[in-house]
Parts: sequence; C-alpha cells; structure tokens
Amino acid sequence: MSATAAPQLELRSVTKRFGGVAAVDGVTFEVREGEIVGIIGPNGAGKTTLLNCISGIHRLDGGDIRWRGDSISGMPPHRIARLGIGRTFQIVRPFGSMTVRENAAVGALFGSADARRRPREAFELADHVLELVGLEAKARHPVSALTIPDRKRLEVARAVATRPRLLLLDEVMAGLNNVEIDAALEMVETVHATGVTVLLIEHVMRVIVGVCRRAIVLDFGQVLAEGEPESVLRDERVIQAYLGERYAKRRHTDPGRDGP
Amino acid sequence: MFLILGGILVAYALLAPLTSLEAAQSANVPLLADRLWFRIATYIAMFIVLASAWNIIGGIAGYAAFGNVAFFGIGAYTTGMLIAKAKWPFLAALPLAPVVAAAFAAVVGLPLLRLRGHYFAVASLGVGVAVGELVQNIDYAGQPVFGGATGLFLPIYSIENRGLFFFYLMVLAAALAVAVTWLVLRSRFGYGLIAIRENEEAAAVIGVNTTAYKVAAFTLAAALTGLTGGIFSQWNVFINQDNTFPIEYNVQMILMALLGGTGTVFGPAAGAVLLQLLIQFLGGTLPISFEIPFVSENARPIVAQVILGVLLVVVVLFVPRGVIEFFGGRARFSLAYLRRSLRETSL
Repeated sequence: MSATAAPQLELRSVTKRFGGVAAVDGVTFEVREGEIVGIIGPNGAGKTTLLNCISGIHRLDGGDIRWRGDSISGMPPHRIARLGIGRTFQIVRPFGSMTVRENAAVGALFGSADARRRPREAFELADHVLELVGLEAKARHPVSALTIPDRKRLEVARAVATRPRLLLLDEVMAGLNNVEIDAALEMVETVHATGVTVLLIEHVMRVIVGVCRRAIVLDFGQVLAEGEPESVLRDERVIQAYLGERYAKRRHTDPGRDGP
Repeated sequence: MFLILGGILVAYALLAPLTSLEAAQSANVPLLADRLWFRIATYIAMFIVLASAWNIIGGIAGYAAFGNVAFFGIGAYTTGMLIAKAKWPFLAALPLAPVVAAAFAAVVGLPLLRLRGHYFAVASLGVGVAVGELVQNIDYAGQPVFGGATGLFLPIYSIENRGLFFFYLMVLAAALAVAVTWLVLRSRFGYGLIAIRENEEAAAVIGVNTTAYKVAAFTLAAALTGLTGGIFSQWNVFINQDNTFPIEYNVQMILMALLGGTGTVFGPAAGAVLLQLLIQFLGGTLPISFEIPFVSENARPIVAQVILGVLLVVVVLFVPRGVIEFFGGRARFSLAYLRRSLRETSL
C-alpha cells in the first residue's frame, strides 16, 4: 500500500445535467501523479463538460471529485486553480490586449498558491515557460499577431505558468496539421517531463496512442472503456461509438481492414 | 516633445492661480487667474478624479458602470451632513466621504457585479438614479432627513484664499487618482483586473478571485469618487439632488475616459481636461466664446448636450483606444487609422 498512495485526482460517479440531459453521467476514474491520461470520445460525449466539472466552472449535480484525498466539489474555479490544477480551453481564450509574455506572466502572478510570484519574478518565469513551449521568439508580440498553433501554445504556456501539478488540456491539437501536431506532442512531453501530471482530451488518435499510457473513452456522458490506448481502440464498443455501427459491421465481415 | 509640452501646460495650470494672491499682486506679477478660472480649473480637477476612478472599474476591469455618480453624491452628502447637522469641522468630515461611498459600493457591488455586459450597465445606472431619489425623498417624522428638495446648506469654510484652497485640494485628489491608477496597473491586482476584462472565465481558472477583484475595483473607484463628492460639498457650500447626483456626470466621466483612452494611466485625465474645456466652451463660460448660429442663448445647454452626444458616437466609432495613444507615439492620426478603428468597432 505504501507505494500506491492516494490518487492525485479521483472522480466518483460525477454527474452534470443540463435540463433533462445528463452531459456527464456517473463518471468514475482516477489519475495518479505523473501519468499522462487521455480522454477520447465522439462529439457531445461530455469531455469538455467533464473538464469544466474538474476545474470548477460547472457545479456537480451528483458525485464527488477529490484532489489528493480531499473533496473539491463546489469550490470556485480560482480556488481549484490555486490547489494546482491548471487548464486550457478548446477555443483559446488569450488576454487579447496583452503581449505573449504578459499572458504567460499573468499565469505566473496567480496560479497555484505555493508558487505565487511578484511581478518581476512572474516575468522571469514567463520567459522560462515560453521557452518550454517554443514561443520565446514571439514573447513581445501582441496576441493578435499569433497563428492558430501559436495561440494554442500560448494557452498551454499560460496554464503551465500557474505551476500546476495537474494540467487539463482540452483539444490542444485540434485544427493542427501533422507537423504542428508533432511539435505540440513534443511540447506536452516536455511539460510532462517537468513533473506535471497531464489529463488531456483529444480527438486525434495519434496523440492518444503517442503520449498516453492510459485512455478513457466517454460516450453519452459515461465511461465506455478504460485501459491502454491500443487495446481501448480495438474495443468493439469504442469503434461502434466512434465510427458508427455500419463501420463496425463492415469491419466484422472484412477482417483485412485496419482499425482506426 | 509632448511630454515637455504637457509639463509646461500642467505647470502653468498649477501656478497661474498663485498670481491671484495679494502678495503676487502687490509684487506686480501680471494677473493670470480670476475667479472664473478657479471654478473651471477646479471642475477640471474634479472630473480628472471622476474619469480616473471610472477607469478603474470601467476601463481596467471592463465593467461599464453607469451609476458612479451615486458615489459622488454619497460622498457629498456624507461630508455635507456631518458639517451641516453634526457641526463637524470640514477636514474631519472629509475622510468619511470615501469611507461611506466605498462601503456602499461593496454592499451593492456584490450582487451587481454578478451581472455582465449590458445587464450590469443598466443595473448600475438604476442604482445611480435610485440613490439620488432616496436622498431627496427620505423623511423622518415629517421632516426630510437629508434636506429634501430644498437641499443642504453648509457653513462657508473660513480660510484665506478659499478658491485657491479648494483648487489645490481638488488637484491633490486628481493626483491621488492618477497615482492610484498607476499603482494598480503595475500590481498583481491590476493584471488580475485586466485578465477579468479580457476573459473572466480564463482569469478564474488561472487563480484570479474574480468576485473579490471586481468588488475591490468597484470599491476603490467609489472611494475616489466619494472623496471628490466630499470636497465638492464644502467647496460649493450648497448641495441638492441636482448638483450631486447629475445623471449627465455618468455619461461625461465615461466619455472622458473613452476620449483619453480607457485602461491607461493618463488617458482619463487627458480626456477630462479636453472634454471639460469643450463643455465650458459650448456653455459659453470660457473667455473665448462664440455664437452658435440659429440657436438662441436659452437653447444653448441643449445644443451642447447634442454636440456631446455626437462626440460620444464619433469617439466610440473612430478613436476607440483614445487620444492618449497619439501622445505616446504609438499611433498617428490619419484616415487609415480611422478606417481601421471603424473596422475594429463594427461587427
């Protein structure tokens, strides 16, 4: 038991309803310190809603979320952030009037409680983080001058600058081409190597297989499968949920074809 | 260049009033300031505070407060009541003006600042109007508590060179407002407010306590606004609903901040000087005046309001980041600039 301490993040039958629809419906899983865990699922499966529950933007309608053994359900977002849970948004939300460097520095000014910094130190940390994500050359640029992939990097930089122990990434690779995905993968691994646990939502299968040691599949707000990415992606129910019944049937009768 | 020019102008504005002193007159220093000049200059300083204070909640935090005049009125009536009814000396009564205004802002700010965008603007306007009505209409045992419709008369503050005293007091308040803005913009607090303005949810998830920050910004704005209200009450000697809760002040302070540049240190102050001079010019109180063609003298204030309204539209559409940008050398005023601004501010 001594080696397996309490999980860093623990979700117990987490439920979130919008009107009559349960966007997240009794989701239970754990994330251990130092892992990279991927959450996949078709559109509308409840992936982003789940992240919103963890980061405190949504209040839970049922279940409990525990951080290092203590419940964080019902805490406002800023307190959850101060505990050391950082996140990005799928649709990037940079602070538009600031430079790239200032965006990262604001993350460093606030962020996790034990790592708060004064303005001067925050800018030093910002420079360091921008180097980590490969934005150091554009530090002085206004956000409006950044390309989409760079804006996604900035979104990650700002979250990393808050010195999180767990980083929630919401589709940071969506909309990127193959070369950009490779660069982004490298960035995630670099951040992970600094000792940050990563929980990422992704649509791109390559990402899940490439960096995650564990994947969780969501469908209609419920956990459909969980395990090693390769075996999860071979799961019949996952293929059906993702690619439709017709594809699954065809694959059944035509075993020569490769999976997704 | 602009810095030197601005410095000379500020120095002139601050030193010219001294020529009205008897000592200066007997030493044959040419008289550069008269009574009217004092009034205008004091009003300008007053509006520097109002616009700078609005800038903290409206410009830096991005919450378009339309009812800040409530804090001005509350400050004026706090000091006014303490002097007129409780017979407090002015300098003892003045510090309570910002305190009461700030306390009021903290109480109404908690529910109001949950609203966003237009909803906050309209709700804050409602508070601004309601407080003025309450102050005029609250009766106790058949007697108006705050002077009612008649208003409140204060004993004249006996000090030598009274005009000069209140001018410099107001200038001190203006300097305080600008200094506070400067400090805010350099602090963690300021960065948190800007983050809230740019994206409130993103600010929250990096650890900004958005509710506390918004209420603090609102309260700080109220304290500065209340302080000027307190100075105004003793300076003007007479206060009533009309001169301490004028709705047009709400529009004017916002227009000044927009004209100068919201979210900047000196923008609201520059806007206050420009717009207050324009208002006085249109009102015909400046030494250099003019006749508005086809407009009788009686209709003049109304026409002045129309011109201000048109100016508001033009500023919002064409100079959304304010004129202070040009002084800093970050932009040049040109047709291309106007076209770009129009593109940015339209859908």
